[in-house]
This record gives sequence, C-alpha cells and structure tokens, in this order.
Amino acid sequence: MIADRVRAIWCRELQRDDISADDDFFALGGQSVIMVRIQGAFIEELGAEVPMDQLFLNPTVASISAYIESLSAVTK
Amino acid sequence: MILQGKRVALPSAPVVHKQFEAHVEAAPDALAVSCGGEQVTYAELDARANRFAHFLVARGHGRGAKVGVCLDYSVDMLVAILGTLKAGAAYVPFDPAYPAARLQLLLGQVPGLALIVASRATAGMVESAAAEVIGVEELPGRLAGLPATAPDVPVTGDDLCYAVFTSGSTGTPKLTAVRHEGWFNLMNWLKLEYGLDSASNNLVVSAFGFDLSQRALMTALFCGATQYLMASRNFDAMLAYRLLTEHDIRTVHCASSTLYLLVDWETARGGDALTQLDYVLFGGEPLKFERIADWAQRENNYCTLLHQYGVAECTDVATSYDLDGHRPCDQDIAPVGKPAYNTEIHLLDENLRGVAPGEYGEICIAGASVGAGYLNGSGPENEKFTTVVVDGEPRRLYRTGDRGYVNEAGDLVVAGRMDAQVKVRGMRIDPTDIERALGRLAGVREAAVVVTYTDAGEAELTAFLVPAGGELAEDDLRNGLLQTLPRNMVPARFVNVLRLPLSPHGKVDRAALVDSLKNQYAGSGTAA
Repeated sequence: MIADRVRAIWCRELQRDDISADDDFFALGGQSVIMVRIQGAFIEELGAEVPMDQLFLNPTVASISAYIESLSAVTK
Repeated sequence: MILQGKRVALPSAPVVHKQFEAHVEAAPDALAVSCGGEQVTYAELDARANRFAHFLVARGHGRGAKVGVCLDYSVDMLVAILGTLKAGAAYVPFDPAYPAARLQLLLGQVPGLALIVASRATAGMVESAAAEVIGVEELPGRLAGLPATAPDVPVTGDDLCYAVFTSGSTGTPKLTAVRHEGWFNLMNWLKLEYGLDSASNNLVVSAFGFDLSQRALMTALFCGATQYLMASRNFDAMLAYRLLTEHDIRTVHCASSTLYLLVDWETARGGDALTQLDYVLFGGEPLKFERIADWAQRENNYCTLLHQYGVAECTDVATSYDLDGHRPCDQDIAPVGKPAYNTEIHLLDENLRGVAPGEYGEICIAGASVGAGYLNGSGPENEKFTTVVVDGEPRRLYRTGDRGYVNEAGDLVVAGRMDAQVKVRGMRIDPTDIERALGRLAGVREAAVVVTYTDAGEAELTAFLVPAGGELAEDDLRNGLLQTLPRNMVPARFVNVLRLPLSPHGKVDRAALVDSLKNQYAGSGTAA
C-alpha cells in the first residue's frame, strides 16, 4: 500500500515508469537533488518525515517503504 | 589590473586555535558546539582538544605532522580538528560517505600521513599500511589522564593548518595545503568586515571534504559563537531547516546549489527561518539569480547574501560581493566583489602582464591567503604558483585558471575558465579522473566526460563511451562507478558512441561531443 505510493513518487521524480521494488535509486540515475524532492514529497503526500540518511541507507522502494511503515507503527 | 584588499594588521602569530583559546578564557561556559543531542561548552571542547593534542605529541605526531580525520559531523570531529591544530599538525578531512576505494585512493596521496581518526564503522575503509587508525570510540579511554591544558607547541602563521583534495587535470586529485596565516586572515576578515561576534551562531550544511566546510566549521568558534552541526552524513534540507527554525542560528556558508535547495524548501513550505538569517555566504559556481529571485526579493527578507569567490589553493574565499537589495545589479552575471583583507586580485594576460581595466584576464590571487601548494608530488599544476614583479616588488601568486574582468564599480566578475576545468554543483571535477574510472569498467574501450546543462541550466556530467563489445547498459555503468567514485562524480547521462571525435591536434574534441547531444534525443542512445 505505502510501497505503491512510494513507487509512484519515485517514478514521477525520476521520470521513468520501469521502477521495480528492488531497483537502486542511484543506479536508476537518481541524484541527491532528486532525493531532496522525494523527501519533500514524502512529507506532503505521506505525512512521513524521513531523514536524508535513511533515504540513502534505504535506496529501494521496498526498503524505504518498510522504513516509512515502521515510522507510522511507532506513531500509532 | 590589480584589485587591492584592505591592509589589516594580523597578530605576530596568526594562529587559528589561539583565537579559539582566547574565547575559552573569556567565556568558558559559552556553548561551543551543538550536534544532535550533544552540547559542549568552550571549556569542555578546549579540554578535550588539549588532551587529544597531548596524545598526538606523545606519539610523535606534533608540529608538521598530518592527521586524517574521517568522521561524521560530531563534537568529536571538532575535538580532533582543534587537537590536531594545537599539536602543531595539519588535518586532512576525509568524507566517510565516500566509497572505500575512493578513500583508499585519497589516503595514498597524503605524504607522511601519521594517523587517522575514524569511527569503528568506517575504520576498515581507511586502513592503511602507513598510518595508524584510531577509533573515535576508543578516544575517551586513551585520553583519560592526559593534561587538559594546551601542550606547549610553538605554531606560526606559516605552519600548515589543513589540506583538502581538489581536482587537478591529471586524473589524480591534488592535495592542496594552506597555512594558519591564510585561514586566520580569512576568518578575521569575515569577523571584522561583517561584524560577526559571539552571537553569530552558524550551521554547517556542506560536506566535510570541501574547502568551504573547513571555514564553515571554524568561523563560529573563531568569533566566540556556537557551531551547530547536523547529525547527518548527507545534506538534509529537512533537518537543516528544522535546526534553523528551532535555534538562534545567524549564518550559513554553502555552495550556490545548496542555497537553491534551502530556498526551495522554505518557499515550498512557507517558513521564514532563512530570511531571518544575518548572512548566507555562498559561491563556488556562477549564481543563477532567477533560482532565488522570488525568495530574495520577498518583503521582510533580512538575510544579507554574500556572493563569494575563491579557490582551495588560496584558503577558500578571496572576494565577496553583497547582493545589496537582493538584486544582482543590471548585469547578467552577479559580480563576486572586492578582495578580502590582505588579498590582491591580479588580472593577467598569458605573459603574466596586467590587463587594462575592463579587459578580460586570468584571475590570479596574491597575499596572505596564498597556500603552501600541493603536497602530493610534482605536476604541471605546481607551475600555477608563480612569482611576478609588481612595482619592483616580487609577489607570490596563484594562477586560478579562471577568467574575469573588473566592472565599472570596481567589482570582480568571473566569466568562465581559461582551460577545460569543470564544476558541477560547486565541486571542481577533473573529467580525466572519471574517465579513468570508466576505463577500468568491463566492456569500456574509451570514455570521455563532458559537462552539459539541463533545461533548467544546471550543470551535469555526460559520459560518452566506446564499448569494447556490445552496447553498455546505463545502470551497469552507474553501479560500477558508484563502487569507486563519490556520487557527485558519477555522470547523469551515458551515451554509447562508435568512436570519440578528435580535434585536428588528435585530442578528444569535447565541443563536438557536446554539440552531438543537441542533435539527438537527450538520453542514452547511440551517436556519432
């Protein structure tokens, strides 16, 4: 569920539609400037404040989605 | 054409850590550093740095030694830096976010590296046959019992304080060293010219390896203020903005591209923390004023923007321009202003003769800030440090390779390069360095890297590759490079070509490569 929304944000910001759950952000051509936009989109669209270090440590849709889910699990 | 900065007398021993120690004496309980949950006063930071200095001196790493610091932003980083200076040694910053292969390549370029401070997690990446690696986690135990007072080490303005890596043109990064006098002069100029004082708390937002980060780390401590650090390995606009909002931070030093990101963050979310700053000191690449125009011209924007120019070889900043009224004046290019104290800007022709006012010349820097040159070996770059005679007096100066002129207001304007050196997001890039890394990847016969511009006018790198066999996949190339290069050196685009175009002199014709992109779909593909 969150993974679908994360993937949609990645596809929009990376301007490609062939991203799978385990693709590496940097291998997809991602750069830190795009990461800043994704960080902003996570706040606005998912209500998740994800530190940049976590975005770098979790460079796939699958892993960052799991991280975001762990955040919301804590707040619940 | 010479621009002469104001002559301001320096102390007989212009030594950076002595200035810090004066604040320790005057206000020992003032807050020196705040990082994440950790806060230390001037007295505590001084005592810890003194113990580390004694530790270094006792191991024979005192005056003239070089100490590697491979740490994330933390109180310990400043303990290591100040302790190194107090021991009379110079520090070399290593960014722990770099891949191990890159750190190893850089370590191999530091002659006489004595010791490296690293965290337990990164110690393996900086293991070296020549230097001892000390885990920062072990330091409290090792330093216990050492004196909390400063060791008696005579340090002069000519001693080295730090050395940072910059790009040359040979494919190997150059390690450029600067002297206490130059660093002291830089921060003394910022302090006096812009009225920085014990309230001028600063937030560091740039990566540790940059020359500008050394000044960003030390200026607040030079002025008696509090240094705020982000407990983050990567630039984090969200965290930075949160800190700017929650604390009384007055200054930020950054690359132009980082200023854009902070401005974007504030604009998208409607805060005012940036507009409430006293100063943003920024530069490193030509300002695209339109990127910040709406923000800069906001009502109630109290932040003074200082557009600055300089090179690592001459201790970072050489000139500064106040974007008064937040307009870059009527010209297309925002000027970089007038020289720092005790600094001269010479505009010279190819025969090292001064050009007439208004004419283009090579920007050369003379004065207190001229550094000690490159520590790693001889090369054509060393010839850029030279001596000219002005009014019968010899002047040591550094030829930056940047092209510029002085406008009617007497401000320096930077207008491109004399050579092919490129900058991407404020960082000097040597395309040969990247081409070598590409050449080591399987399936690559030849490679050329050029700087290109996005539709938004941002500089980025494009790699042209001649495959040895079948066409090379973009993702494989990126993955390969990410093993050996920092992320900001990995090209944004990869283009397979059948051959690299050559100029009449037999060199790769980079202009033809850039032109070839204009005639085709802007992405991965086959050209030429």
